[in-house]
Amino acid sequence: MTLAHYLTVASLLFLIGVFGALTRRNIIGILMSIELMFNAANINLAAFERFLHPEGVAGATLALFIMTVAAAEVVVGLALLLAIYRNTDTAYVEDYNLLKG
Amino acid sequence: MIEHAYLIPLIPFFASFIMLFGGKEDPHSNMPWVGIAAMGVCLALSVSVFWGAVTGTVALPYEHNWHWFSIAASIAGRSFVYDMPVGVLIDGPAAVTLVAVTLVSLMVQVYSVAYMHGDVRFKRYFAFVSFFTAAMLGLVASSNLLVTFACWELMGLCSYLLIGFWFEREGPCEAQKKAFMTTKLGDSGLYLALLLIFAKVGSFQLSQIYQFFDKGLMPATIATVIGIGILAGAAGKSAQAPLFIWLPDAMEGPTPGSALIHAATMVAAGILLVSKTYFVFLASPTAMESAAWMGLITAFLAASMALVSYDIKRVLAFSTVSQLGFMMCALGAGGFTSGLFHMTTHAFFKALLFLGAGSVIHSVHTNDMRQMGGLSKKMPLTFLTMLIAVLAIAGVPGLSGYYSKDMILADVWNHDHLMFWILLCTALMTAFYMFRLFFLTFWGDDRDHEKFHHAHESPALITGPLVVLAVLSAFAGAGLNHDGLVHKLIPKPTISVMPGAAVAAPAHASEAKPEASAHQASTEHHDGHLPAWLHMTAIVLVLGSITLAFLMYRGPTYAAADAIKANLGPVFTLLDRRWYVDDFFYALVTVSDKVAALAFWIDANVVDRVFVDGWGLLMRIFAQISDAFDNLFVDSAVDGVGGLGNDLGVGLRSLVREGQVQEYLMYAAIAFSLAATLILTR
Amino acid sequence: MLSLIVWSPLVGALIVLMTPKEKVRAIQTVSFVAAGVALAASLTLLLNFDRGSAAMQFVERWMWIPSLNVQYLLGIDGLSYPLVLLTAFMSVIALVGSLGIKERVKEYFFWFLLLEVGMLGVFAALDLVLFYVFWELTLVPMYFLIGVWGGPKKEFAAIKFFLYTLSGSVFMLLSILALYFKSAPHTFDMLELMKPGVQSLFDPRFQILAFLGLYFGMAIKIPAFPFHTWLPLAHVEAPTPISVILAAVLLKMGVYGLLRIAYGITPLGFAWFLPALIVIAVINIVYGALCAMAQTDMKKMVAYSSVNHMGYCLLGIAGMSATGFSGAAFQMVNHGIITGALFLLVGVIYDRAHTRDVSAFGGLALKLPVYSGLMAMTCFASLGLPGLAGFISEFMCFLGAFSAWPWPTAISVVGIIATAAFFLRMMQKVFLGAFNEKWAGMEDMTARELISVMPLAVVTVWFGIAPKWPLDLMNKTIEHMLGK
Repeated sequence: MTLAHYLTVASLLFLIGVFGALTRRNIIGILMSIELMFNAANINLAAFERFLHPEGVAGATLALFIMTVAAAEVVVGLALLLAIYRNTDTAYVEDYNLLKG
Repeated sequence: MIEHAYLIPLIPFFASFIMLFGGKEDPHSNMPWVGIAAMGVCLALSVSVFWGAVTGTVALPYEHNWHWFSIAASIAGRSFVYDMPVGVLIDGPAAVTLVAVTLVSLMVQVYSVAYMHGDVRFKRYFAFVSFFTAAMLGLVASSNLLVTFACWELMGLCSYLLIGFWFEREGPCEAQKKAFMTTKLGDSGLYLALLLIFAKVGSFQLSQIYQFFDKGLMPATIATVIGIGILAGAAGKSAQAPLFIWLPDAMEGPTPGSALIHAATMVAAGILLVSKTYFVFLASPTAMESAAWMGLITAFLAASMALVSYDIKRVLAFSTVSQLGFMMCALGAGGFTSGLFHMTTHAFFKALLFLGAGSVIHSVHTNDMRQMGGLSKKMPLTFLTMLIAVLAIAGVPGLSGYYSKDMILADVWNHDHLMFWILLCTALMTAFYMFRLFFLTFWGDDRDHEKFHHAHESPALITGPLVVLAVLSAFAGAGLNHDGLVHKLIPKPTISVMPGAAVAAPAHASEAKPEASAHQASTEHHDGHLPAWLHMTAIVLVLGSITLAFLMYRGPTYAAADAIKANLGPVFTLLDRRWYVDDFFYALVTVSDKVAALAFWIDANVVDRVFVDGWGLLMRIFAQISDAFDNLFVDSAVDGVGGLGNDLGVGLRSLVREGQVQEYLMYAAIAFSLAATLILTR
Repeated sequence: MLSLIVWSPLVGALIVLMTPKEKVRAIQTVSFVAAGVALAASLTLLLNFDRGSAAMQFVERWMWIPSLNVQYLLGIDGLSYPLVLLTAFMSVIALVGSLGIKERVKEYFFWFLLLEVGMLGVFAALDLVLFYVFWELTLVPMYFLIGVWGGPKKEFAAIKFFLYTLSGSVFMLLSILALYFKSAPHTFDMLELMKPGVQSLFDPRFQILAFLGLYFGMAIKIPAFPFHTWLPLAHVEAPTPISVILAAVLLKMGVYGLLRIAYGITPLGFAWFLPALIVIAVINIVYGALCAMAQTDMKKMVAYSSVNHMGYCLLGIAGMSATGFSGAAFQMVNHGIITGALFLLVGVIYDRAHTRDVSAFGGLALKLPVYSGLMAMTCFASLGLPGLAGFISEFMCFLGAFSAWPWPTAISVVGIIATAAFFLRMMQKVFLGAFNEKWAGMEDMTARELISVMPLAVVTVWFGIAPKWPLDLMNKTIEHMLGK
């Protein structure tokens, strides 16, 4: 198992995330897709640490930070989602047009 | 005593301030006695100086200077610090004048205690009188021309205050303004003369200026200009033609105040100034001749005007003007001694005349002589003292006026025969109008019974000064003339070198000096007396004109005078209108008012418009131009850039369905991929 | 010490700013203390001021903006010291007069003290930038003081005053900058610029141009014909104490600048301009007096008499002689005192009658003897009566100009007569004649008014009788100015 394998998995995971974020109609799905992208990044970090700088802990530490931030982000995201849902009674993003200028 | 001469002007000066600010304004205030006491001390001091001069125990001239202030000056390229002195210079004329001034002032003040009693501004009047006298004494005693000028101006202020003493009424207000302005007009000439003197000599100290002239350093033309300037000043103060217009109006003030102005202070100042700066006139025959003619014309005009006036004070005022003309004429004709001699005697009898007239007015409450008459019965003492004064001014032998006037006529005869005849004619007119006044007032029967009935002799405070002055009017002339005393006291000054002589022959200047002064001395010795026949003729003519006055005005009516008046209507109108000199000056005032209005109009409508509004307009035009530029070019460039951005944005926005997050994301992803591709494939 | 003089009013102004506006008493006290400190400090300088020296004294020098060589440079000599004294003195006097101000007291005293900072600074500053800063600093307070507390046309008057003087000082700034760039090494230091070494860098053409710029700024302040028309309006509209300050101090800034900067730094330009200056002086004198003659508003009349009196200053300066210069310097002080008193006195009658028209009165001397006496004295001082302050300085101005310009000086004498004419006429109409019963209830001067006028009257008499003291302060400096 070389670094390339890990990176391939991570990029696949990322692309799935991107695809999901662009195509899912349900906003929960989009949030999940975003989590996928985070995790892709985490895999990359872990892999880079393992293969390039095995003596340090920087990659793992950063991965832990990202997980924390992702958790916090989900909290905020879900809170926002709930607020929007209460106002609009829908979870489908094509019905949201609050950003329309 | 003479080392304390500086006290003579200072004492009344301080006394006036004590009177002005001390005590309450009270019609029965006792403050006036402060002034009288002060003047008494001054008189004592002056007499001691005078007596010292007469007996020769005091060496005259006495000069002492103190430092006043310093100014940086530069004269003809020479820079130096000029220490302005303030000091006393007591020479013969000053010694005589000091006595005359303090004496008359003292008499006037004593008299005023009774005359002004009960006036609301009783105390203030005495403060003014004291201040007036102080200024005059300062002028007489000062050693510095600038100080002299300062006192001169202060006297103008005092005359302003005294003439307008009863300022509630219109007349005094106009008169005081007229007096101040007329004298100020003359003063501007004096002002220029002072500037010119300093510019040439570099000093204001009289003795130094004299030195300068004495050495002949002053060019004759400059001396002439200075002389004319001084004459202008003197014409203002001493009421010479054509600036005599203020004096007849000045009688609007309290009568004793008029006496002071006419006899001792104001009007004598001009004559005194000319005598103080006599060396200027010696250096310039033109100025000398101008002085003579100015005096002569004044004497004649004023005497002619006095002939027709019925106001007792006005007649006296004209007579003052006329007598001053005599003095000025004498000075101009080279009669230095006679001019000042006449000034002294005139001070006594003119003060007496005014105080006597005041006594009459006090008693009958009118100035109009046509409502008087026969007052000799009611007011014997006033009548007698007035008689002495009238005889003295007419020049009847034995009284003081005779000696001085005789001396003037002699000097003028030696100078110019034409002048002499005109002056003699004036002297005759003097005798006539003075006796006209006298007969109208005291002689014959009463014309106004009401007024006559209330008339009464004045109290002792009034008659006392009259008697003292009458004694002086009678004997001062003879006393001063005794044994050539007046020549000894008031010697004619000389200058050693005439202007130009020093320039022509500087090497011989020192040699020429004794010779020239000897020459001067010989000419002075030359002008003795009138030829005997002329002398007798003059006396006879004077007596004749007195008789004429008697014949015309002795009775209650004066038909003869009226008849002459009817026949000579235009002449009378001319005299009554005072030769239209007043009208000339009124026109001048009107014109200057017009000029002032024009100046202000220009200021508001031209200068302001051009330099303020015009400036503003210019700025606004600039502003508009730059505004247009801004709008057309600068701003549109800015707008253009903004518009471009706007258009671009609008165009792009039309590509997307608005508000769809996922679409935005997709564009972002595409853009990112493109960017990544670009960067990675490079 | 000089810094204390200049800045103590500013400290006062800041304290006033922090005081609640209801505490009128406290505000007034603070202002008096501040102005009083400035006056006391300037008086204590007397003890150490060396009259025998022409050099700058009490010099304070710090670098302010090193990159431009701008210094904080203060110093006084015989020319500026009397004016510093005058400013500090007149400020206190005007503050006494300001006690009558009832509305927006806090702002008033703040602006007033700020104005005092500017005025004191102008006379003490020896660096051109500092000078210019102080010069402009006087403008803003003056604008507000006229514009807020003034008469009916106050806004117009304030704007006219502000813009007109500002437009002048812009040209002055240009000249200052030109001098800076022409000098080597570049400097704004006046003393440096007056030195012969630096002077030699300024060719005549340059000096003329620089002088014209400076003159333009100063002529408006003086005010010299034809730039004088802002003055009557500003005077008429300004409240009494501000008129006093305007006449007593602000006009002097122009003449002071002319003597110190224009003459000191651009002597060739000054000499080139002399023939024009004498003409302007004569016009100021005669024309100013004539315009005053045509007035019926007392304040306007006094304002035009200021034009006339500043003409005497110009006349003295144009004479280019020691006598004329010291006459002009002395006349500045005397005019400040006399005209200050005149404005205060006119203010007194305006407060009572709410009119200044001369024909509205009559016979006031009967009812108000103290007021009439003081007014008469001040008028006579203003028309140059000997024994009062104006005479000696006026005479010295004439004396100084006479040798160089006999004919113009002779014409100027007409101005003296006209001055006498309008003052006498005013006095006759207001004080003499029959009493106008309309003013039967009018009171004589109050204690406050007397306190503000009496010191001026005392100084007027003092300088008139014994001018030695003020003249000795100036003489050495003036001699030195002309000696070079």
